[in-house]
Amino acid sequence: MSPRDAVGEISPELGAIRQVRRRPKLSWSMRIGGAVLIFYVAVALISLVWTPYDPLTPGIGDGYDAPSAAFLLGTDRLGSDMLSRLMVGARYNLGITLTAVTIALCIGTTIGVIAGYHGGAIDTVVLRAVEIFQAFPGLLFAMLVVQAVGPGIVMLVVQAVGPGIVNVILVLSFVGIPDYLRLARGEIHSRRSWQYAEAARMVGNPPWRVAFRHLLPNSIGPLLAFTSINAAFVALITASLGFLGLGLGPNTPEWGNMIARGQDGVMTGQWWVSFFPGLAILGLTGAFYLLGDAISDLTDPRRRR
Amino acid sequence: MSGELLEIENYSGAFRSPTGELTPVLHEVSYRLKAGALTAVVGETGSGKSLVALSVLGIQPPSFVRSSGRILFRGVDLLGLDEKAMRKIRGAEISMVFQDARAALNPVFTVGRQLADVYQLQHGGGRSAAMKQAIEALRRVSIPEPARRARQYPHEFSGGMAQRAMIAMAALICEPSLLILDEPTTGLDVTIQSDIMELITDLCRVGGLTTCLITHDLGIVAETCDEVVVMNAGRVVETGSAQAIFTQPQDPYTRRLLAASQLVEAAA
Amino acid sequence: MRARMILRRLLWVFPVAFGVVTLTFFMARVFNGDPTELYAPPEATDALRAQIRAQLGLADPLPVQYFHYLAELLRFNLGTSFTTGQSVASDLSDRLPATLELGLVGLTLGIVVGIPLGVIAAVNRERWPDFLVRGATLSGMALPQFWVGLVLIGIFFVNLHLLPGPVGRLPIGVALPPRVTGFLLIDTLLAGEPALWWLSVRQLALPALTLGFSTAAPIARVTRSAMVEAMQSDYIRTAIAMGHGRRVVWFRYSLRNALLPVVTLIGGIAGHIFAGAVLLESIFAWPGLGQYALQAIERSDFAALQGFVIYASLLYVLAFLLVDILYMFIDPRTRA
Repeated sequence: MSPRDAVGEISPELGAIRQVRRRPKLSWSMRIGGAVLIFYVAVALISLVWTPYDPLTPGIGDGYDAPSAAFLLGTDRLGSDMLSRLMVGARYNLGITLTAVTIALCIGTTIGVIAGYHGGAIDTVVLRAVEIFQAFPGLLFAMLVVQAVGPGIVMLVVQAVGPGIVNVILVLSFVGIPDYLRLARGEIHSRRSWQYAEAARMVGNPPWRVAFRHLLPNSIGPLLAFTSINAAFVALITASLGFLGLGLGPNTPEWGNMIARGQDGVMTGQWWVSFFPGLAILGLTGAFYLLGDAISDLTDPRRRR
Repeated sequence: MSGELLEIENYSGAFRSPTGELTPVLHEVSYRLKAGALTAVVGETGSGKSLVALSVLGIQPPSFVRSSGRILFRGVDLLGLDEKAMRKIRGAEISMVFQDARAALNPVFTVGRQLADVYQLQHGGGRSAAMKQAIEALRRVSIPEPARRARQYPHEFSGGMAQRAMIAMAALICEPSLLILDEPTTGLDVTIQSDIMELITDLCRVGGLTTCLITHDLGIVAETCDEVVVMNAGRVVETGSAQAIFTQPQDPYTRRLLAASQLVEAAA
Repeated sequence: MRARMILRRLLWVFPVAFGVVTLTFFMARVFNGDPTELYAPPEATDALRAQIRAQLGLADPLPVQYFHYLAELLRFNLGTSFTTGQSVASDLSDRLPATLELGLVGLTLGIVVGIPLGVIAAVNRERWPDFLVRGATLSGMALPQFWVGLVLIGIFFVNLHLLPGPVGRLPIGVALPPRVTGFLLIDTLLAGEPALWWLSVRQLALPALTLGFSTAAPIARVTRSAMVEAMQSDYIRTAIAMGHGRRVVWFRYSLRNALLPVVTLIGGIAGHIFAGAVLLESIFAWPGLGQYALQAIERSDFAALQGFVIYASLLYVLAFLLVDILYMFIDPRTRA
């Protein structure tokens, strides 16, 4: 490793993380959360090649079949198999959540690091802009854009997944950016005058290198923990948007959408159409929360007491 | 064994890491505190001196596990007492002053209230009587305008003043037989340090209070303490009267410690 | 000193509000396109369309519309809703009590259940009550509110027939009492109709329970973690060293210290709820602001949409402002 890189290695938090990596002590939360997430990813991948029945074809069952040996989780009003739809739904909920979070993470962190490092005018402007942006009710904003943008952007990006999805992802990313921005900015801002940052600068690193290569890795703990918890939040909003029927086609097997379509069933006793998608959401969101908790416990330097 | 208020006998223990590994930190620590005397326990950071003190009161960190030893207070092994019995001893018989006074006081309650709460706990009675006592205690530790100060919050106190308030709480409001002070002057300005030391020695001499002063600073020990216990890396290295330690240190570590604080010439 | 700090925070409301108003204005139009189509009959001629557009106030170029809107805003005129035909301001005030009533009852439930649960979990750390509470709160936070509502409806209405169905604030066909405050729980009593009061309570039960469940979860969590952190602090160690008993240490001291982050959380939640729980209102057919907003979006009702956004944003800002002010009273360190 070159001397320029080595400078950043002596900071305290990075040391804590290195120690952890050497001897990973996996807590229960991390194990359960991780296992559940892996399970969901597996289901989503499997659904690409196999599902018990075709999730989009109606009329396989008679409509509103109760859970049975033939249809493990029953069928919905149109007779499509619930289990198959849930499996395919994993692609949507998981995929949308992960994509939106990744985009928000990258963009938000980058801007946040820049604002935090430079300070001064850039910092103030960015912070105020974020404040205004955040005063906007998040879900409403999402609804607004998703509802309206609709098929317009389709022309630009042709995806096998479907037009509305792109918009949903874009909107969710945008809604998430301010939080990552604030977090990254705060972390960088408080560290930029620390000694190892000074040292990195003196050795000749350009500012961007000091900020991204040396300062940022020390915030991996809080960032990862936050990302996981943010992912939980995004998963919920995805389901909410789906519930409202925004941005996705009416037959899309996204879990929130499925809950909405099963609403009438609840009133007449066919509870399973809305019930199981909710459990699916619980599992996904819960796993993200658990992971986030576990990560923050692990990388919190105060724990060394 | 008469004349000894507290006896630490072969106290050993280790820290348990989150993964379950044990790291031994105390090895057969033994020393005695003579009644009415001011004993200093000196050692560098990590020598375990604070850990032993916390164990006396039963407030050691949960990750610390005792492997052997006894702590005898008036002949009774404190380590064998249950929580209820310990609670009766804390404050009433044995009391403690901590290092960072401003952090050791609750930030959302006034200083007076915290002192009054302890007074009511130890002596009963009503709130207003307790408050009067609190103000009086603040006055006795030379805090100016004690009535006004009692209505203030810890963050409004300077470091030295907060430490005085803590001493007021531990030594005056409580009326213990044994007072332990864990690095009470560390982090304070030098002039304040000597003021605080003066206060401590006054309380000790005048009240006949057995005092145990834990510190890494030999400078403040020299003029004030009767007995000295030297600790290093979890072991007791040497004990003796202050005069003996300073004039004729036996253990090489003690000599190094003395040399480092340049007291050898003063003693000689 | 305190007054100055409060004033400074209050002043920030204006630029933020202005920013939000501008954002909404342009976003609504750029994104929602031209609503003329929605309001014009299919066979309308171009001339008719132009007329409708003018009536809707959309004929002028965008900047002109913007300044016109701002001017009206300064006179507290929020415009007229396309769908209801009434002034947006009166629409908002019509629907506000429904949202507020549900929000207040639900939030109170959440606090009354959440804080004690958090305390129980903290006090029994790493034992079974703690695991139970943590599990329950995890599901409370990981479950979408609308699903919880549906499940509760399914259990208590469809299955057990204990509570009425989701038809709104009162059963179908029952008239509202004369409006004094807009809060049914109050107005029914003021009108001397206890039977009506009971009916409105029953209708309120399920949505309030759902809301209570969702809010109790994060409140319990934060209470727990804040108390645990307080318990590990130096000042609690002092209290123990002085001989204070468990009860005092937990309830007089730790809880008080733990309240600080809890208050912040409640402020955030309150802002969220009072801005209109869109999904909740849609499930329970609750005639509140959330539903209003949803309709406004679907019908490209610009004025209504903007009016709602202004209200919601101001509410958020106010909620956080109130939290800050409250903080000044409960955390002495902020008064320095």
